[in-house]
Amino acid sequence: MLDRLERLEREISAALEAAAGDPAAVDAVRVRFLGRKGELTALAKGLAALSAAERPATGKAINELKARATAAIAEAGERAAAAARRAELLRDRVDVTLPPRAPWSGSLHPVSLVRRELERIFRALGYSVETGPEVEDDFHNFQALNLPPDHPARDATDTFYLDDGLLLRTHTSPVQIRTMEARRPPIRMVCPGRVYRRDWDATHLPMFHQLEALVVDEGVSMADLKGTMSAVWRRFFGEDVRIRLRPGYFPFVEPGAEYDVTCRACHGSGCRVCKGSGWIELGGAGMVHPAVFEAVGIDPERYTGFAFGLGIDRIALTRYGIDDLRLMPENDVRFLGQFPS
Amino acid sequence: MLASLNWLSELAAIPEDPDRVAAALTARGLTVDAIDRETVPGDVVLDVDVPANRPDCLGHLGLAREIAAAFSHPLSPAPATPIGEGAPVGDEIEIEIDDPELCTRYVARIVRGVRVGPSPEPVRRRLEACGLRSINNVVDASNLVLLGLGQPVHFFDLERVRGRRIVVRRPRAPERVFRTLDGIDRTLEADTLLIADGEGPSALAGIMGGADSEIGDTTRDVLIEAAWFDPRSIRRTARRLGLSTDASQRFERGADPEAPPRAQDMAVRLLVELAGGTPAPGRIDVHPRPRVPATVVLRPQRARLLMGFDPGRETMVEALRAVGIECADAAGGAISATAPSWRVDLVREADLVEEVARHVGYDRVPARLPVTGAAPDEGTTRPLADRARDLLAGVGFHEAVCYSMLQAGADDGFVPRDARAPATIANPISEQLAVLRRTLAPGLLAAVDLNLRRGVRDVRLFEVGRAFLTRGSGALPDEPYRVALAWSGAGEPRHWSRPVREVDVFDLAGVVEIALRTLAPGFALQRGIPSLAALHPGRSASWETDGRLVAWCGALHPEVRARLDLPAEVLLAEIDLDALEAAAPPAPAYAAIPRVPASARDLALVLGPGTPWGALLDRLRRVDPPAPVSFEIVDRYAGPPLADGEVSLTVRVILQPLERTLTDERTEAYRRLLVDVVEASDGVRLRA
Repeated sequence: MLDRLERLEREISAALEAAAGDPAAVDAVRVRFLGRKGELTALAKGLAALSAAERPATGKAINELKARATAAIAEAGERAAAAARRAELLRDRVDVTLPPRAPWSGSLHPVSLVRRELERIFRALGYSVETGPEVEDDFHNFQALNLPPDHPARDATDTFYLDDGLLLRTHTSPVQIRTMEARRPPIRMVCPGRVYRRDWDATHLPMFHQLEALVVDEGVSMADLKGTMSAVWRRFFGEDVRIRLRPGYFPFVEPGAEYDVTCRACHGSGCRVCKGSGWIELGGAGMVHPAVFEAVGIDPERYTGFAFGLGIDRIALTRYGIDDLRLMPENDVRFLGQFPS
Repeated sequence: MLASLNWLSELAAIPEDPDRVAAALTARGLTVDAIDRETVPGDVVLDVDVPANRPDCLGHLGLAREIAAAFSHPLSPAPATPIGEGAPVGDEIEIEIDDPELCTRYVARIVRGVRVGPSPEPVRRRLEACGLRSINNVVDASNLVLLGLGQPVHFFDLERVRGRRIVVRRPRAPERVFRTLDGIDRTLEADTLLIADGEGPSALAGIMGGADSEIGDTTRDVLIEAAWFDPRSIRRTARRLGLSTDASQRFERGADPEAPPRAQDMAVRLLVELAGGTPAPGRIDVHPRPRVPATVVLRPQRARLLMGFDPGRETMVEALRAVGIECADAAGGAISATAPSWRVDLVREADLVEEVARHVGYDRVPARLPVTGAAPDEGTTRPLADRARDLLAGVGFHEAVCYSMLQAGADDGFVPRDARAPATIANPISEQLAVLRRTLAPGLLAAVDLNLRRGVRDVRLFEVGRAFLTRGSGALPDEPYRVALAWSGAGEPRHWSRPVREVDVFDLAGVVEIALRTLAPGFALQRGIPSLAALHPGRSASWETDGRLVAWCGALHPEVRARLDLPAEVLLAEIDLDALEAAAPPAPAYAAIPRVPASARDLALVLGPGTPWGALLDRLRRVDPPAPVSFEIVDRYAGPPLADGEVSLTVRVILQPLERTLTDERTEAYRRLLVDVVEASDGVRLRA
């Protein structure tokens, strides 16, 4: 008898397995074993024929099997119903590998991205961000920067002049002058913006973007300049970047310098990008020339200051690996769209 | 400046390794851009970038001094110069300086009996190394002096010096035109400095000789001029004539006032060696304004402060002496420094600090991040500019950067008819970039054009930048910040689930309104129609406040589009950010949200031809509503059975009370008042 029960349980399992996923087949299993004329029901009815000694144990075994079978069939029924509902929904499915209906997304110009990142770095270091006119007068663009008329260094900046004697600023330095005119030290500022030079070829545009930093306070030295540059460029390019200062000539700084950072392509070992030197020149720097302080009425004995500048466009080229400067003012959306904001 | 390493090594004991020499020069601020080992066999050529303040390094001697200083090696002594024979110079010629301001020194010597001919091979190669071609032994001699010492000399054919007299002066009244040796007639100005002989001009001082006094194949006797000319005068004349020569470049940066005799001696030596000449004894040295050496005081503590470290006073003195600066003790431990005659750039204490810094090396400067607090000021940037960028990029526009300059006339159709003329560039680099833009629209239009021609179908661009509005009389122009937008192609993202809809004015006007509402919330604006000639008059809109134009938007005028041959429709818009910035928006204030349902009534209207919805809306809004009201257009129809030009609008009037539901009676009463307004309005009727 117990053998039969064991066999029956195996049969129930096999039948449920065969019926998997089909609610009707699961119900048929229930009828076959547990229905009024079901096989298990029939066994229970046969208990009476057993001896009194056998009856309690067998009865208990039958009842236990019945409970297990009922639970298994119910669970299989649930599963089958869920599978059926899912099959129903799948009949209504869409191909989600088709392109979705996305709203448009735009982009910021690489020059804006680099400018903003630099502004963020400088603001975190306590600098204000200043602007000034793009059309300038000779005083702010040249004379106050220790570039009197007929100064040979004016040759280096081919200037666009306007009909009425004004000019398009050749650097953002006049913003330094205007800020020093308007405010007393301590000054910590950056001035990003458009600048204009009469130069147009594969590596020069007649309009480009600069950012200059200026610090004026008591006791400011070249060491502060070097430390600041190092902090800024590490944050911008990464911790492994190194800075190199070389003597350089700009009439508005003394001592003056040009500065390089380790080439971002080869990290200083020398490659095509840096022409084998391992260094990329970023711009000019130096200690504010006393004549500049005198032009804006700041006492050069009491205050010293440093300034350094950079070309935003060129840094954008480096950062994004853009190999042609002429892409920058062309505004082809297939170029612009590569810089999601 | 191209420098021959062989030549440098004759002037000073320098390292044999060109890389070491180049690195030393670069570290001293004379950046070596290239080392050329190939062009000249047996020599190495350094391409040195000489800054404008170091004219002394526009000659090999100056570079040799720097290299010698870097390696603490001595300079080689200059060779002796033949004294000469025959009649002394003073018997042959008379020198007069008429303008001692512009010419403080004029030195003359004579070499007789030269034979003009080709130069020997080593001379030719040396010139080639420096980027010059050999002409003949006499001309080559003057070029070798220029390249060797950085001091130009000029040779006259003594036979052609009329009246045996040289006068340094400005032009006389009839002397208007002078033919330089390149055969070009040059117009003379009153302040042009000339070298004249007894009869007339024979050279543009410091720039170029004249065609008539040039050294020729038959020249026998040579007059050697070595002089000092005022840098400003030379520079002005050279620039005015567009004539930049090896000589003018050196004079206009400031030549060494003590160099002329030395340069002349070298020229004499070379004419003897290369052309077989015999020098006449003596020289004429007219020196009306001898140089007074200036003394500059360097305070070691000042050097320490500027450099950020202390190399020590002794090192400072050593650094200055290394480049020929004489040092003496001054009061308070200061150093009294007297610069050599060739260092015209050393005039202030800071200049001496740089001399010290570059001698000890900029890499010795420590790096220290200054301790700083909060930014001392808010700054002067336009906060709306970057917000506008984010907003427009967020709704699918790509940021463009266009030139601030335009072709003349390019923006005429995008500015009011009474706008002032644009600022004009006196020396444009191209006709395409000749005037400053008064609006950003033309730049974006050109960018759209470029994209369409390259086959890009959907173009949405914006730019944030300045327009330039002249104010006249030499005043700086106004430079208002503007945002411009351009749109061509689909009006919504292309998708397989729907047909492509081309962009129309409602698309772009929607973006303008989002921008206005986000950047200047609560800003009261009146809608209007812009009077800009380049826009389609029936497809354009404007936003104004107090009569000031804040924004406009519209389709390009079909005639303009045809003229530009644009392959697709283009919509343009511009927003004046400064106008928005001026109207500081109120901080957003919370308003209660309704707790009860809204009630709605539909009005079915027919608008007659040319009747704008906006005008009717203004009148409807004047009816006092029983609860906050909004008007939503749920349907628009034009076509039969409506008459031509008529438009049917279904307007849903939504009343949204805050606290208490409206009764049907009150809603209905309000609807009847609206109907009255409609019936009283011209050009509008209720749909049957």
